[in-house]
Amino acid sequence: MPTHHQSPALARLVRIVTLAENALLVGMLALMVLLAASQIALRNFLDVSINGADHLLRLLVLWVAYLGAVSASREGKHIHVDAIARWLPGRAKAGVGALTDLFTSGVCMVLAWQALRFMHSARESGEMAFGSLPVWVAELILPLAFTLIALRYVLRFMHHFQQARGSEEMK
Amino acid sequence: MTLVILALIGMLLLGAPLFAVIAASVMLSFAREDVDLTVVIISIYRLAEMPVLLAIPLFTFAGYLLAESNAPKRLVRITNVFISWMPGGLAAMALVICAMFTAFTGASGVTIVALGGLLYPALKQAGYPERYSLGLVTISGSIGLLFAPSLPLILYGVVAQQLSIGPPVAIGDLFLAGILPGLLIVFMLSIYGLWVKRHQQTVHVPFSSREALSSLREAIWELPLPFIVLGGIYSGYFAVSEAAAVTAIYAFIVEVLINREISFAALPKIMRESMVLVGAILIVLSMSLASTNYLLDAEIPARLFGYIRDHVHNAYSFLLLMNLFLLMLGMMLDIFSALVIMVPLILPIAVGYGINPVHLGIIFLANMEIAYLMPPMGMNLFIAMYRFDRPMLEIFRAVLPFVAILLSAVLIITYWPQLSLALVKN
Repeated sequence: MPTHHQSPALARLVRIVTLAENALLVGMLALMVLLAASQIALRNFLDVSINGADHLLRLLVLWVAYLGAVSASREGKHIHVDAIARWLPGRAKAGVGALTDLFTSGVCMVLAWQALRFMHSARESGEMAFGSLPVWVAELILPLAFTLIALRYVLRFMHHFQQARGSEEMK
Repeated sequence: MTLVILALIGMLLLGAPLFAVIAASVMLSFAREDVDLTVVIISIYRLAEMPVLLAIPLFTFAGYLLAESNAPKRLVRITNVFISWMPGGLAAMALVICAMFTAFTGASGVTIVALGGLLYPALKQAGYPERYSLGLVTISGSIGLLFAPSLPLILYGVVAQQLSIGPPVAIGDLFLAGILPGLLIVFMLSIYGLWVKRHQQTVHVPFSSREALSSLREAIWELPLPFIVLGGIYSGYFAVSEAAAVTAIYAFIVEVLINREISFAALPKIMRESMVLVGAILIVLSMSLASTNYLLDAEIPARLFGYIRDHVHNAYSFLLLMNLFLLMLGMMLDIFSALVIMVPLILPIAVGYGINPVHLGIIFLANMEIAYLMPPMGMNLFIAMYRFDRPMLEIFRAVLPFVAILLSAVLIITYWPQLSLALVKN
C-alpha cells in the first residue's frame, strides 16, 4: 500500500506493525512445520509423542490462518468478486473501493468487539487450553486480527477516497 | 430485510471481501433473533478444533516451495526425454504433470504460471498447433482438482463433515473417489491431443540415454515425493495432515538444503505469500462455519429441499439443474468460496434425492474445473491472458474444444456414480 500521503509518524507505525505481523506469521509457520514433522518422526521411530503437541498444532492453524488473513488485507488479496469493479474507469473504481473498504472495516470492528467479549468471558472462567496456557491467550488472535484487518481497511479507505476525489494520482 | 439483503449482495458484487459479506449477513440474522453475537466468534474459534485443517497450510507451503524452485523445469525435461517420441505423448504427459502439480498446489492458478510457461514452447516445438498448445496450458490450472491431496477436495470433506447429514464423508474416501473420474478427464483430453496431431509427422528426436540419465539424476530428490505422499495416504499409513507435514519438511529439505534453489533469505517471503492464500481461504471457511450454524438452526436447507422437491421430481433432473447452476456460479466465485457457500445448501438436498455425498463432492469439483474456463469470466482465462500475453478472444477460441470435452466428462461423472464410488470401501 502506498504511504506517500501518510504523515511520517503514521507511515513509521505502519511499517513497524507490518514487520511484527510478518515476524509472527513466519515464526508460527516455522514452528508448525517443525512440530508437525518431529511429531511424526518421534511417533514412528521412538513410539513417543510430545505432550499437548496436537492441541498446540490446532491452535497454530488458527493463528497462522488469521495472521495470513491480516496479510491478505494489507494487499487486498481477500477472496472477492471482481465482476464489476474490473470494468470501471479509474476514479469510479476508487470510489467503489472506498465504499467496500468502509463496509469491511465496519464489519471487522464489530467482529473485533464480539471477539473481545468472547475472550473476556474465557478470561473470567480461568480455563486452560492445555498445560499452563490459558484459553484466553489462545483466543487473543481473534480480537487482534479483526482489529488489525479493520485498521488496514481504514487505511485502504483513506487511500481510495483520496484517489476518487482526484487528489491522489492513479496507479 | 429485503433491502439489507440487496445491499449485502451489492457489496459482494462491487468487490467487498467475501468473508465480510458473510460475517455481516450472519450477524444480522442472529441479531434479528436476539441471539448474542459471540455465537459467531464461537463458531470461528472452531477452526482450532479440526485436526484435518493442519493439512491446508502445510500442503500450501510445500506447493509454493516447489513452484519457486526449478522443480517444474526438471519435470518438463524428464517428460521431453522419455515421452516426446510417442504420438500425442508430450500432450498426454503435460496433462499428467499439470494434474499432479495442481493437486499439490491447489487451484490457485500457480500451475499456469509455473508450468504453463515451460510447456507452451515445448508443445509448439514438438509440432502441436499454436491454438491447441495455448488451450492446453490454459486448462492446465484446473485439471487435477480431483486427485489427492488437492485442497478443494479436503475443504469439501471438512464442510460436509460439519453438516453431518447422510453417510459420513471421510477425506480418504474422497481421495479414492477422485481417482477414476480424474483419470477419465486426463484420458479424454489426451485422446484429443492425439487427434489434433493425427496428420502431422512427429518430430523425431533420437532417444539419448545419456540425456535421460542426466534428467533423472537432476530430479532424483523430487521423484520420490508423489510416491511418498500418495502411497502414504492411499495405503492408510499417513493421516492427511501427517502426509502434509511430511511433504512440507521434505520439500524444504530438498529445495532449500539439498538443491539450494531457494535461499534462507528468500524463505520468509515465500512463507508469507503462501499463508496469504491460506488466510484468505480459512477466514472465509471460518465465517461459513458460523453461517452454516445459522442455516441449520433456521432449517433453511430442509425448507429449500421441500420447495425443490415439489418442482423437480427425480435425482436425474436435479443433477442436471445442479450442473448448470454450478457452472454459472463457478464463473463468478472462485472454487473455495463456491464450496463453503454452496455445499451446506446443496448437500442436504442432494442427500434427499439419494445422492451419495462423496459422489456429490466429485461432481461439484468437476463442475468447478470447467467453470474456471468458461468465457467470459472464468478465472484461468484471465491468468492465461496475463501470463501468455494474448488477447482474450484468442484464449476463448483456444479453450472451447477443451471445454466441450470437459463438459462431456462431467456428464459421465455425474450420471455414472460407480465411476466415483467403485474404489471407495463399503
